[in-house]
Amino acid sequence: MNKYGSHFVKLIGQSLTSLAIVYSGVSFAQQNNTLEACYVEGLADRLMCGSVSQPLSKKSPSENIDIHFAVIPAIKQLHPKEAVLAFAGGPGQSAIEVASIFARNLKYARENRDIILVDQRGTGKSKLLQCDTGTIEEQFAFNDHALSFVTFTKEETSVCKAQLEVDLSHFTTVAAASDFEAVRLALGYEKLHLYGASYGTRIAQEYLRQYPSSVLSATLDGVVPMQQSLVAIGDAIDSALNEVFLDCMADKACLEQYPTLADDYQALLLQLKNEPITVTVRHPRTHKEITLVITESKLRGAVRMALYGHTSRSLIPLVIDSAKKGNYHPLVGLLGNEQTVGSIAMGMHSAITCGEDWPVLTQSDRQKYGQSYFGKMMIESLDMVCPIWQVEPVEHDFYKPVKTNIPILLLSGGLDPATPPSWADLAMVSFSNAKHLVSPSATHGVASQTCANKVIGQFINTLAFSELTTDCLDKDNRKQYFMNINGPVANHSNEHKK
Amino acid sequence: MMRLVQVLYKKEMIDASRDKRSVMAGLYYAIGAPIVMCLLFTILLKQLSSPEALKISIENPDAAPNLVAYLDGFDISHSDDDSVKPIKLVIDLKYAEDMSEGRSALVTIIADKSDNKLIKSVRRLEGVLARYNSEVAGLRLISRGIDPSIMRAVNVQTQDQATPDSKGGMFLGIATLSIIIALFYSAMNLAIDTSAGERERNSLALLLSHPLSSTQIVLAKVTAIASYSMIGLVLVLIVSKFAYGMVPWEQLGFSINLDLMFILFCTLIGLPIALMSASLLVFVSFMAKSFKEAQSYVAFVLFVPIGLSMMTTYDIATDYVQWAPIAAQQYAMIEVIKGNELPLLQVILSSLSTLGLFALFTMLSSKMLKSEKVVFGL
Repeated sequence: MNKYGSHFVKLIGQSLTSLAIVYSGVSFAQQNNTLEACYVEGLADRLMCGSVSQPLSKKSPSENIDIHFAVIPAIKQLHPKEAVLAFAGGPGQSAIEVASIFARNLKYARENRDIILVDQRGTGKSKLLQCDTGTIEEQFAFNDHALSFVTFTKEETSVCKAQLEVDLSHFTTVAAASDFEAVRLALGYEKLHLYGASYGTRIAQEYLRQYPSSVLSATLDGVVPMQQSLVAIGDAIDSALNEVFLDCMADKACLEQYPTLADDYQALLLQLKNEPITVTVRHPRTHKEITLVITESKLRGAVRMALYGHTSRSLIPLVIDSAKKGNYHPLVGLLGNEQTVGSIAMGMHSAITCGEDWPVLTQSDRQKYGQSYFGKMMIESLDMVCPIWQVEPVEHDFYKPVKTNIPILLLSGGLDPATPPSWADLAMVSFSNAKHLVSPSATHGVASQTCANKVIGQFINTLAFSELTTDCLDKDNRKQYFMNINGPVANHSNEHKK
Repeated sequence: MMRLVQVLYKKEMIDASRDKRSVMAGLYYAIGAPIVMCLLFTILLKQLSSPEALKISIENPDAAPNLVAYLDGFDISHSDDDSVKPIKLVIDLKYAEDMSEGRSALVTIIADKSDNKLIKSVRRLEGVLARYNSEVAGLRLISRGIDPSIMRAVNVQTQDQATPDSKGGMFLGIATLSIIIALFYSAMNLAIDTSAGERERNSLALLLSHPLSSTQIVLAKVTAIASYSMIGLVLVLIVSKFAYGMVPWEQLGFSINLDLMFILFCTLIGLPIALMSASLLVFVSFMAKSFKEAQSYVAFVLFVPIGLSMMTTYDIATDYVQWAPIAAQQYAMIEVIKGNELPLLQVILSSLSTLGLFALFTMLSSKMLKSEKVVFGL
């Protein structure tokens, strides 16, 4: 009997040891052994992070950069050979930093598939190309209306260029696409579902063009067509703001509270155009007294950024009305809030805009886009900085619409101040198997405000448009405007007095 | 000696397989338990999770259209039909006035929080209201020129070390418990039949009259029973693999995935447990005077492994119990499902002690067979 006993123990001992080794190999996600657990702000889940080394340029493979990525593991892995690859916007946003947003947008897709987030070259941890953007005090006090503005911008750009010490031509969309493919190969996925938001839709389309055999489907949320320069954005901003004015006029309480909103705004802009207003305000965080120079572009910029989300959008009438009456607190709040959104890698942003959006501008483009304030401003600023950056223009084929029969879902928001539904229509001219869904009341990034995350989950599972339930996209998710600094309720005490 | 045991083992296996109904009865558990368990889990998951579109009654919604729209954005809305949950949200009549003047506007949740079916929905409503609170508060601060991030004095970030595979918690315990118990259930009938049954059929005395030691007889019986236990184990593992794959775990944000590695691992650590369980059941059956008595004792004895396993499942005194046989193996099984490191020392020690018990019970049984009182059930 002892003989039996010892034999069993030996057998069990041996097999357990081999199990342990094999097992630890399997449990560390996929075949790659360089992954390690990591976390990102706003997401409690354990992610797996890693990096691949990629040549900086295809011409000189000696110099390398590390492309960092994170994998949000599937809840219940049913498709180990597939994953969803998410592309961040900006251009210049780090996909890993906004993991919590992707986790929400791809919540249903994640139930059965891993989500891959890659910091595109020049962003986040993949050789970040960022320069000092100045403190709130500096930005508040800065007068972009002054004559010295052009010289100042050029100087700043030169300083930034000297700091970065890199040829931005290696950071264009075309150059970045191969990094994503390298990550796919390193992680061992056979096929990918793409999800891109905002600028992310451009890199998603470029990836699809370069590596069609790696792609099962693509979801483009807030679509940038390959044929179009980002400079065309001006019209979308104007019409999105106009929607706010129309909304307010259509709402009895809002109209009563802000009867001359659109006129007030124009009057205010005219006043600032003639002469910026300099006031002493409180720092939004430290409460120290600081100087604020209110210029036309600062007011327009603050209002523009507020258009991106329904929450901040609900403050726009209050901000305009108060500023017109000489109360700048709400404007200070918006300007201060803008800072926290930030974290766009300006160097990488310039690589894209100067390499892709600027060189292609024709004289008629300049005239057309220059009609809107923001179009004009963007052209002017690109004309200032691009000659300094000296980014090699991308090849002309880049601007051709992507031709494909891979299923593609396009999502647009009716109130989008950046990528309006018409852009998606332009993008899909050569997609032979695509569907464009518009959520009338969504702003920029449909999946983060509506039930589109559910639709995306269905689409990735079925790859068929007929089976999507999209009614919920029609749900009106606009928010009521703030009627005073306390909330979206008109002051009833006035009524009582009547 | 070895050859004799082998011959005897063969005899016992043939003997057992003759009573096909009894063998099948033992294996029914292995096939049925995971399926029943998964059906129960599916129903339980449905009850634990809040319905996607949560219908509640909202009183006085006109006073707070903004709040009502906000709730609707999170799929919580008012309804009068049958689908409505017994949760009431009462909006104060002075809501609009208070909101407009910057006072806290009153909303009241009325619900029975002891109702397990409601708890998830009530928490969801509370959560959405808390979000609304911070959203409006943030906008109020911005309107006053203040950065709302100052409300977060400390930026609390949680790093959850769990993986989707390890969040199963209690479910994992119950699943592994059902697998371990298969080792006992599949062999129960057989153990009684081959010991107390053989005695009642008077063939035990005949067997003992052969030139064999009682240890050899017991060993052959125990290994034959253990073989059936192992068949039950493999069966329960295979059925579980498919059944658990059907349960929509992802609704609660985790998954229970029994991969091939896990099945092999369980088969391996199940072997000593099968031997121990067989020897224990045989020993207890010999102690009884009759077949019926043996059935009662065996049922009683089964509480010991179930109890040990329950302590792991419900995490009672895990620090000590995790070293005990069965509890330790179950703990290791859970760790393997979770994808954590294998507690190798515990597995080896508990397997050794399990084998020790197997030796002990076998020895005790063979000693009993030397007594005429036991052999003839006197």
